[in-house]
Amino acid sequence: MSKHQYAMVMDLNKCLGCQTCTIACKKLWTDRDGTGYMYWNNVETRPGLGYPRQWDRIGGGWKDGALQPSPLPTMDDYGHAWEYNYEQRLYEGKKQPVMPSPEPKSGVNWDEDVGGMNEQENYFFYLPRICNHCTHPACLEACPRKAVYKRDEDGIVVIDQDRCQGYRYCIKACPYKKIYFNEVTGKSEKCIFCYPRLEKGEVNACAAQCPGRLRFVGLLDDPESPVHKLVLVHKIALPLFPEKGTQPNVFYVPPFNPPKRENYGKSIQEDPRVPLDYLIYLFGPDVKDVIERLEAELKKTQEGGHSEALQLLIGRDGDTRYRIRPQLVQIQL
Amino acid sequence: MKTRQLATIVSVWLLLSTIWAQTKAKPTPGQFLPVAVSSASADNLLHGGPAAWNQIAVKHVALNRTPPLYDTDEPATLDIPSVDVRIARTGGNLLVQLSWRDSTHDAITLAEVPNTPPETRFRKVPTEADDRFFDAAAVMFPTKAASGAIAPSLQMGDAEHPVEIYYWNATRGAMVMQAQGRGTTRRTDRNFLANSTYQTGQWSVIFELPDLPAGTTVAFAVWNGRQKDRDGRKYFSVWQVLE
Repeated sequence: MSKHQYAMVMDLNKCLGCQTCTIACKKLWTDRDGTGYMYWNNVETRPGLGYPRQWDRIGGGWKDGALQPSPLPTMDDYGHAWEYNYEQRLYEGKKQPVMPSPEPKSGVNWDEDVGGMNEQENYFFYLPRICNHCTHPACLEACPRKAVYKRDEDGIVVIDQDRCQGYRYCIKACPYKKIYFNEVTGKSEKCIFCYPRLEKGEVNACAAQCPGRLRFVGLLDDPESPVHKLVLVHKIALPLFPEKGTQPNVFYVPPFNPPKRENYGKSIQEDPRVPLDYLIYLFGPDVKDVIERLEAELKKTQEGGHSEALQLLIGRDGDTRYRIRPQLVQIQL
Repeated sequence: MKTRQLATIVSVWLLLSTIWAQTKAKPTPGQFLPVAVSSASADNLLHGGPAAWNQIAVKHVALNRTPPLYDTDEPATLDIPSVDVRIARTGGNLLVQLSWRDSTHDAITLAEVPNTPPETRFRKVPTEADDRFFDAAAVMFPTKAASGAIAPSLQMGDAEHPVEIYYWNATRGAMVMQAQGRGTTRRTDRNFLANSTYQTGQWSVIFELPDLPAGTTVAFAVWNGRQKDRDGRKYFSVWQVLE
């Protein structure tokens, strides 16, 4: 157990699926050789295939204290990253149109906005995903070289690039498939929770750039932090697939009341647009209680009352959404 | 599941007892490796093809398969039962040729990475595949000359007996590694000269080692990339002794 634990809460009711977080992350961390297909942050449409496709069904994580088997996703599951022929078009004066190569056949958020059907009505929502920086990381346990470690000062899980030998046991073990192999360097890479930014008091790039302002960042063990309040006080944010046993430190406020034709004022439990079973699949059975709590808060404000939880979720400015404490997590030498 | 766990425990116990016996016992004559003093140059032995090695005695060294170490391991076959070893001493070096049969050639040529920062280029070198592993081989020996009949632990040495591992990978080339016990293996920034050929289902890899004295213990390992061998998933010999 680390001394402190950084955590993130994402309010799925506010996600527009604009991928600005994805691009912020990509420009900052994965614009290098071998990283074309890597999305340390990705946003996928749910229900949907996810990235890599079917990652939620192929295995990994813990069961009864034992790591669970999983195949490695293949490049077909990720979709082969493509490039464009800018050189020929812009520099060599060739007149062919700018085209991607290889021909795109699958990719990140390939099934954008397809979603599912529920009683003749389409439904979908967006699920932004980063490494969960788990309290009990399966990737760390699986690495025979001890290249994966959890930073004692802030709980961020990173891969020591000097120790990593590219064995990829960590990718198999991660039930969220949030570690990627770089064949150019021969080593595996993952989200580093922007720790170099946090150490300077800046919030993660994905959170800073989010136009929907749906991300909350802070120390889970800091009573003043928004993540502490949302997860532990108001209890309205849940981890993804809690049954995988890794104890994620990224939490989600479930999509609790998207409008449906002719059901104004009805709750998701009375007349759901997003089937409750699907939310239970993603977030476990506690999602029911969370939705009840969220709806109770909503009712309170509709009746003219004040809801601290909803005010926090609105989170208009950065001071509300983030509480970065570089001085608190500095290593005491 | 229980049967598999029991089988794993038994096979690990058998392996450990073999290793323990190997560590303690004086080597039997069968474990001595002949070392030829060659008049050929190291360069000729490295690059001269089979003809340069014809006169050098061959030792057939049996390989063992590590038992499955993790419940999540994929099954592995016992398709590489032995490695042929030839050793020649010349010009202050020890040249070791390892030859073994492997019906699948798991090696690629990685795309060259331009010597310019990626952010200055339109195109980055892609990761073509994330799920392939390559054939490899290694020679391990103690970093310090062992005293008496005690050899380091076969599982990558131990705290008192660090080992050097000269590791060759069919795609990534040759690199020197160090270890002092299982799970401690690290790359150094040193390389060594190696040359490899693959013909008609047979690998032949020549390693240029330092001039190890007679009596040094050495051990060999072979990985088959096709069955996702890497790390401790490999074929290994017990300690052998240089004559």
